[in-house]
Amino acid sequence: MEDGSDRVEEQLTLVARKPCFGLPTGCPVCLPVYIYLRFANLPFSLSIKSNFPDSDLIPYVESGAYVAYNNEKGGVIESLIEDGLADLDYELLAVAEWLSTKAMISSWLMDALMYELWVGSDGSLAQKIYYSDLPWPIGKVLFLKQFLVVKQLLGITKDNAARRETEIYGKATMAYGALSARLGKQAFFFENRPTSLDAVFLSHALFVLQALPSTLNLVRFAERLKTEFIEASSSSSSGPQLHSDASSSTPKKGPSSWSSKSQNKPKREKTQGEKTFRKRAKYFLVTQLVAVLVFLSLLGRSDDTEVEFDDDGTDYTD
Amino acid sequence: MEDGCERIEEQLTLVARKPSFGLPTGCPVCLPVYIYLRFANLPFSLRTNSNFPDSDQIPYVESGTYVAFNNEKGGVIESLIEDGLADLDYDLLAVPEWLSTKAMISSWLTDALMYELWVGSDGSSAQKIYFADLPWPIGKVLFHKQLLVVKQLLGITKDSAERRETEIYRKATVAYGALSTRLGEQAFFFENRPTSLDAMFLSHTLFVLQALPDSSTLRGKLLEHSNLVQYAERLKTEFIEASSSSSSVPLFHSDTSSSTPRKGPSSWSSKPKSKPKREKTQEEKTFRRRAKYFLVTQLVAVLVFLSLLSGSDDTEVEFDDDDDGMDYD
Repeated sequence: MEDGSDRVEEQLTLVARKPCFGLPTGCPVCLPVYIYLRFANLPFSLSIKSNFPDSDLIPYVESGAYVAYNNEKGGVIESLIEDGLADLDYELLAVAEWLSTKAMISSWLMDALMYELWVGSDGSLAQKIYYSDLPWPIGKVLFLKQFLVVKQLLGITKDNAARRETEIYGKATMAYGALSARLGKQAFFFENRPTSLDAVFLSHALFVLQALPSTLNLVRFAERLKTEFIEASSSSSSGPQLHSDASSSTPKKGPSSWSSKSQNKPKREKTQGEKTFRKRAKYFLVTQLVAVLVFLSLLGRSDDTEVEFDDDGTDYTD
Repeated sequence: MEDGCERIEEQLTLVARKPSFGLPTGCPVCLPVYIYLRFANLPFSLRTNSNFPDSDQIPYVESGTYVAFNNEKGGVIESLIEDGLADLDYDLLAVPEWLSTKAMISSWLTDALMYELWVGSDGSSAQKIYFADLPWPIGKVLFHKQLLVVKQLLGITKDSAERRETEIYRKATVAYGALSTRLGEQAFFFENRPTSLDAMFLSHTLFVLQALPDSSTLRGKLLEHSNLVQYAERLKTEFIEASSSSSSVPLFHSDTSSSTPRKGPSSWSSKPKSKPKREKTQEEKTFRRRAKYFLVTQLVAVLVFLSLLSGSDDTEVEFDDDDDGMDYD
């Protein structure tokens, strides 16, 4: 791989999957790269490629003869750092807590999001992201194939499905708590500057907030808090426009302060697992709320991000 | 689950897989529990259960009517904490770095060890841990079945194998570096006292140092950090080999005849031999030949089982057959 710094003058192109959920790219692997490039202030153009839902090459960054694929050298961000195009992580690799926090995000939180996209939402979200452009039978088959892979990746079998779900949610909940404590009132997680860690977490938080239908209640709740938060904060930077379109779908679960409408919950035969799930889901949502506040504070301070937040959920621009 | 506090007077028993590699239990899921109980100074007896290599319930801790299985409530250690038997993690759940460090160990390092045991070392270590007691063909088949599960868990396919290996080693390398920095010269990672994090990491290092061959890449990475090696050495002496401890007398016998301990503490050294090449075609031929033996043995086993069944009224579960009835859950 040629030294990328010579190529910086040529236009950088990020090839990613198409937008979805009001995000510039609807794919959880692509979005961190997008955000990282924005954090690094590297001008780039976004090119959409939706032909290959299973392709491990996407996202990739190219500039002239230089190209950094997703499935090389640990990923695009790692390539950008190694090849000298954009290193936001300088000096932090030696900081134990930075690394362990990044590990926690990229394992526990990534698993939780993968679970929600593929299993928790009955796969409807993953289908939307990856297969909605394909003819229906082909898309369905490819989806089912990848669905199986995801379950294997998460170690989910018929027997342990309820337990794994509880574990996954439990870990995410703890992670959110720790991240919230770590962030406090800062603009970024470490050294008051954006790093790949912030890119990865911000991507995760945006997906959780905008892609997951079960958070519609959370968004409504957040709207109330956002108003209080924005009023309370001194900075008048334009916060994100989180339009909550909550009327379209019934919330699946909610914190204890709302009446839980359990009648509309989709049928799941395991009653014991359901009880545990509900309890854990409540903790999860409360902590997701924390993630909202984190996200709001991150975005409120970052002037460069032009990510749009049309929270319709269903419509996505092409 | 009853409150375990009342049960503490009854003898606590830890049921785990058999010793191996000079460790009280040769299974990477069981050892952290063992260590945790030793850290907590809870007297317990160790019982070995090798019948069910795939069982998700092992390890488990029981005391009277109280029992905490591996596949409940997030694991045995979590159960011990929740049920009030032994909480070494008090106050630390609120410390972000403690949690993130624990996450790093339980994801990146656990993955790396799993990789080395099952894939990196040609699976010989894993076979020794889980399948050594079984008749050879059956053990071999079960091993290959579980190997597939492990590869799926780690996202390893034919195409991604090399890349995944590089990633797994890279993550382990940076994790070791961070942990070495975090530990420094301290006795434990946080607040100068042992927690479940130490139990987890100590278990990991002992396996890496004692269960993996000298040529193991992962082992070489760990040996680069002398403070981590010393940490393992010291705690092993203090908590695992201490035979003069009056409060807890684990009934394990270090079975050095059956499993040669890899190295003594002071002579752990990295021998940079080149990693043995995995010759797939050779292995495949061997596997095919052995599979034929297995079929013959299976037939014999079926006949034996039928004769046993007709001659016995008890419906005792015997793990002498492998109707593929064992589910990996």
